[in-house]
Amino acid sequence: MKITRFPRIKRLKSNIKDTFDIFVNEMKMISHDRGVVVIFILAVLAYPLLYSLVYKNETLANLPVAVVDNSRSHESTELIRHLNATPEVDVFSTYSSLYDAQKAFNQRLVNGVIYIPEDFGKNINTGQKANISVYCDMSSFLYYRTVLQATNHVVLDMGKDIQVKRLGEQGITGESAKIITEPVPYNDVVLYNETAGYASFLVPAVLILILYQTLFFGITILAGTAREENRFHALVSSSVHKGKTLRVVLGKSAAYFIIYLAWSIYVLKVIPQLFSLPHLGDSIDIIGLVVPFLLASIFFAMTISVFLPNRETGMLVFGIFSLILLFLGGVSWPYYNMNGFWKAFGWIFPSTHGIQGYIKINTLGADIQTISKEYHTLWLQALIYLLLCVWAYHWQIKKSLANARVRQMVSHKREIARNESDEQTNTTKNSNAQS
Amino acid sequence: MPDKKASIIGATLRRELARMKSRPMYFILTLGIMSFCYIFFISFFSEGQLMKMPVGIIDHDNSKISRQFCRNLDATQQARIVMKLSNFKDARVEMQKGNIYAFVEIEKGFSEKLQSNKRPPITFYINDAFLTAGSLLLKDISAMSLLTSGGVQQKVLRAKGVDESLIPGIVQPISIDSHMIGNPWSNYSDYFLNVFFPGVLEFVILMTTVFVIGIEFKERTSRNWLRTANNSFSRALIGKLLPYTAIFICLGFLSNIILFGYLHFPLNSSLFWMLLATVFYVIACQAVGLLIIGTLPVLRDSVSIVMIYGMFGFTFTGFTFPIEQMAYPVRIFSYIYPIRHYFNIYVNQALHGVDIRYSFGSYVILLAFILLPAIIFFRLKKAAIYQNYPIK
Repeated sequence: MKITRFPRIKRLKSNIKDTFDIFVNEMKMISHDRGVVVIFILAVLAYPLLYSLVYKNETLANLPVAVVDNSRSHESTELIRHLNATPEVDVFSTYSSLYDAQKAFNQRLVNGVIYIPEDFGKNINTGQKANISVYCDMSSFLYYRTVLQATNHVVLDMGKDIQVKRLGEQGITGESAKIITEPVPYNDVVLYNETAGYASFLVPAVLILILYQTLFFGITILAGTAREENRFHALVSSSVHKGKTLRVVLGKSAAYFIIYLAWSIYVLKVIPQLFSLPHLGDSIDIIGLVVPFLLASIFFAMTISVFLPNRETGMLVFGIFSLILLFLGGVSWPYYNMNGFWKAFGWIFPSTHGIQGYIKINTLGADIQTISKEYHTLWLQALIYLLLCVWAYHWQIKKSLANARVRQMVSHKREIARNESDEQTNTTKNSNAQS
Repeated sequence: MPDKKASIIGATLRRELARMKSRPMYFILTLGIMSFCYIFFISFFSEGQLMKMPVGIIDHDNSKISRQFCRNLDATQQARIVMKLSNFKDARVEMQKGNIYAFVEIEKGFSEKLQSNKRPPITFYINDAFLTAGSLLLKDISAMSLLTSGGVQQKVLRAKGVDESLIPGIVQPISIDSHMIGNPWSNYSDYFLNVFFPGVLEFVILMTTVFVIGIEFKERTSRNWLRTANNSFSRALIGKLLPYTAIFICLGFLSNIILFGYLHFPLNSSLFWMLLATVFYVIACQAVGLLIIGTLPVLRDSVSIVMIYGMFGFTFTGFTFPIEQMAYPVRIFSYIYPIRHYFNIYVNQALHGVDIRYSFGSYVILLAFILLPAIIFFRLKKAAIYQNYPIK
């Protein structure tokens, strides 16, 4: 028994040592390559900070609006005063005509115009329905939402007082007045991202993409460099792999995985807390998601990198994908409403499930059971891309071995030829000497 | 003499055209990425507007009135009831799973309370983590509930014998007409595409400019390039970049044709101003690309810088989150992006249709970008002659 077990353990030991050597070698490659250090270290460090800083102001405040007050009544003045008191808008100036207000709008001094018609005060005093018009700047959706929200709020508040007064005039007061002003009280409860903050909505998705894209570009740069430096344009030099694919793939991916596991804590846990973005997620759930996410992303990037000939190819061709992956992640255009084809296309990329899973854990406070769909998909992807990666690397290694063999044969033939010619010269020398 | 100049540029041009045919990267960069993005963004936003988002309902009452309420909600533009749930906990889990973006809870005895004037509440739970879906649903649901209350109010007031002419003034004392300037249909894709087409173009132009020059350094062919241009660096640059200027202006024009012709997005001034802006924009982007490769004549470093600079371009356009609402020091960066100035022209001309003099400043700034390469002209020339930068 001992005799048969012993070599197995020895082989296992040597396999582990090989894998570890490849891991160490890859770590060296990473740390010696300025471009990769910039991406793996600097970009991952700085990008989350930059994005969080840019979107630090979650909502719009004190948006300048113009008011055209044609009513010039006590009521219109009150409306303007209330409007100015909202946190959302500031009355930039009051104009006497829409034409003047439009001029201010054209100069981009204001983001909205509120028009109070002549009969506004009269209508309120005579019990008629009064009307105002709001013109919104549509160059950003947030202008529209903010201006409308502020005016709605003010108008509803003023309207309630007027309602009570008018009902009183009809002799309806107390409880029955309440019933009429609000027969069905409705409460709207915003469960997550209560302030409707823009950063809280966008930045979590961007954080996942930062991890995903830097990992992708770093790996493609490393693969491209290896190929450029190798004499036979092979991805893996034969001195490293010794013909064993799985060890190469595992050794390399372990290097990326360890670096990025550490980064994940900083990017996905520290940054949201630092910038008071939503962070409802449990650390264990986040790590539970991150492990298959990183594995799937690493194997995916390694598979693609096999087909990229040069160092810069990855960034040149897939640079713009950062934007496309953000949309495929189903954040600004909800995943449910996405076109079927693009949904299927988005499924291919681990980032899609990473974004969905992370938002659900981090922003909605889900646990790993709740996001089992994303969790299992990522593990499935990790497995599929591992197999694809091993296959692609195996193909590369075979190619490099074949190249090496050809080289060996060529040099061997040359040697034989040289030896033959040496012999010939020797014989001629000999014959010359003889003669 | 002018003939000679033209022939030198011609020689560089022919050399560049031959290089373009030599490997697929040139084709992918100039036409491939842009074509993919046209197809992607047009089909991705083909619905134009977000409609029928999934909503859940917890109906504890299950009466004629509550069922009617559900049918009304289902009939609104934005909401579609996809599931009935039995309690709050289940509904919250469904929301966490992303299967619904909002849910409504109707309490037990709702219709009885309503009929006996006990003001039963309805509660809406919204998820604003997906901001667009959340805010659209909130708007729709609030409008519907106002309508529901309005109906009840009218009935009660009539029963109380209030004069018919006074009822509208009591139900809604002040109403709001909202107008969206320049974009009356609130079409979502209009927003996105008008920024993404030029945004992707900027990115592609930067990458291409950096690549076509950087590859000469990387492959140590820059001396040959200069020799073809008879050692005149300015002519070497013109001959090299001219084909790309032409290609990208064509692509920019194609964007305009797609947006304003094929998709019929609002264009409230002459198309000429947008086309002129496109020409200036393409050249400005090339100038920025030249500045980057001139500052760092190493292909791989320049590509990384384009990556970092380019991705923030979408942020600093200011269409998602307005620039003037960003924190102060960050705001300054928007000036160094051609797309910011192109976007200003788009907003003024296409969207608002204002007089051209309001956009004059943006055109001038776009043109001023052309001066940028002057800073690095000699540095880049030296790099081409001495090849004194590492290739890796």
